[in-house]
Amino acid sequence: MKTRTTLWKTIALIAFLALLLAVPKIARNDYQVRILNMTGLYILLSLGLNIAQGFCGQINLAIGAFWAIGAYTAALLNVNFKWPFWLTLPAAMVVAALVAAVVALPSLKVRSHYLAIVTLGLGEVINIILVNEEQITRGAMGIPNIKRPSFFGIPINSEQRYFYLVLAFVILGYLVARQITRHRFGRAFRAVRDDYVAAKAMGVNTGFYQILAITISGVYAGVAGVLFAHLNTYISPDIFEFRSTLFVLTMTLVGGMGNLLGSVVGGVLVILQEVLRTFRDWQLVFYGLAVVLVVLFFPGGAVGIARRWRERQGARRAREEEANTVANPPSEEAR
Amino acid sequence: MTKTVILVQTIVGGLGIGSIYALVALGYSMVYRSMGLVNFAHGSIYMIGTYFGVIFYKGMVAGLHLPYWAAFIVGILLTAILGVALERLFRPLANLDLMLMLLGTIGVGIMLDNLAIIIWGAEGFAVRSPLSSKPILVGGVALVPQMLLIIGVGTVLMVGLQTFLSRTKVGKAMRAAAQDREIASTMGIPVNFTNAVTFAIGSGLAAAAGILAAPIVYVNPAMSAAVGIKGFAAAILGGLGSIPGAIVGGLLFGVIEAISAGYISSAYTKGIAFIIMVLVLMIKPSGIVGETTVEKV
Repeated sequence: MKTRTTLWKTIALIAFLALLLAVPKIARNDYQVRILNMTGLYILLSLGLNIAQGFCGQINLAIGAFWAIGAYTAALLNVNFKWPFWLTLPAAMVVAALVAAVVALPSLKVRSHYLAIVTLGLGEVINIILVNEEQITRGAMGIPNIKRPSFFGIPINSEQRYFYLVLAFVILGYLVARQITRHRFGRAFRAVRDDYVAAKAMGVNTGFYQILAITISGVYAGVAGVLFAHLNTYISPDIFEFRSTLFVLTMTLVGGMGNLLGSVVGGVLVILQEVLRTFRDWQLVFYGLAVVLVVLFFPGGAVGIARRWRERQGARRAREEEANTVANPPSEEAR
Repeated sequence: MTKTVILVQTIVGGLGIGSIYALVALGYSMVYRSMGLVNFAHGSIYMIGTYFGVIFYKGMVAGLHLPYWAAFIVGILLTAILGVALERLFRPLANLDLMLMLLGTIGVGIMLDNLAIIIWGAEGFAVRSPLSSKPILVGGVALVPQMLLIIGVGTVLMVGLQTFLSRTKVGKAMRAAAQDREIASTMGIPVNFTNAVTFAIGSGLAAAAGILAAPIVYVNPAMSAAVGIKGFAAAILGGLGSIPGAIVGGLLFGVIEAISAGYISSAYTKGIAFIIMVLVLMIKPSGIVGETTVEKV
């Protein structure tokens, strides 16, 4: 039984990956591939948010700002010093991690609503700096002419080729997140989330893990930022405003907070948003309505629905088995 | 002009803007105290409330040009009714996980913001002050009449709220319901009713703030985000759920903004205010007036 489900899971996974690899060929135009590329970036952002918030319980409303830090680091190094993608990537990861660690410091003192406004406020401060330090960031005008990357001499100059790059990073990011959350760090994160006081009493260095969780979310956002800067070749501060954070938060909750697959499922929201564009002015009204309905009726997100369905199936099977045993009680010899 | 004159002028301006923040922060704190709900649609209620008032003042409804004070009252009443409707909608959200609350209420906020754009357009407009725009000189200090109106009416509303809560039967019932929902309802207090009144008052105060601020700001649907976030920051700064905290937090936030705009950098006004808020919370995590509670997760 167990091996059969594992086999089916493997086949389904391989089929899914094959489908993903074929996507650029199936897509009708560059625009559709671009939406998928953006979906991948948002999945990375959501994974980062999920580690900090879903697993460690650290509210992080600065994820959009960390994304901006990654993108601006990459853009400035690429435009001013001609650093290629493969050098801007580690640089941006380091810078985003450092900024995230600083933003995480107040989490040692404040919690819950207070941490929400603190991270939101610090995220706003970062955005204000990007707008106002015009000598460095060119302010609201943004930074154009960021170069596309190349891979061992192959220029990644089309949306289709970029898709494979994004896909590789999403898969890598997912696997790393799984390693982090399944082992020692993950256990400590969950301990901090579920019972802060008890975790501390058990000798978990809570402060260290709180800062670590937010720093990891910063690294994920940094990677997403680098990918975005080199994909879009133009960045400006308004892209990374608070509504980008809200969007990442929404997709994580719609997918399932505290479950890495939830971040992947939540990516559907990026596509949904594009579909809603046909409603023009009413687009955001419907979007807001959809968010309210999800919160009211499916607070566990898509992963929560799947889990509830599985539990119901399990309960039914248990009931059936029980009914069977009552109908044919095991004989004396069998016992 | 001497340095003290400039300082006094800056502080008066800060108190004016701070009164706006305080009135908005009161809405956050009252609703949080009574329902355990953080209403992130409050900024949008502030924006809608502003429109509900100024459309009658500017003759945008059937060419009706009400005097400023009448438009002020109509706007507050209409927004209070909207607040009662929203309370019913938000009731299932109360006591949910903070993030779900945040998203559910922000979802409503997004709807309100975009409905406002559809109805009144995204461009916005300026509103003329009912008072003269000539500053009044008091001992060399130039005071803008609208600013004094904001501070005056704001003070009246805050004192009125405090009196209402401590003296009237409904106000006392509201405080009891906020303190302990279950016990209050066993004592015969209709908790849902007191919550509705709380929401109506919070929304009405936001509308009052918006209509008072209309002549000194530019009225447009995007005004919801900025004041919504700052009002929440002010409520947190004072201590979320505390009525005096909201007032202190709001006034302080306004004065900090004015001083940093006047003396440090106008581009970084908002940033400096946020950083000071973070520093205050690092020293006193429960806000200035907030009670320290050991919250076990």
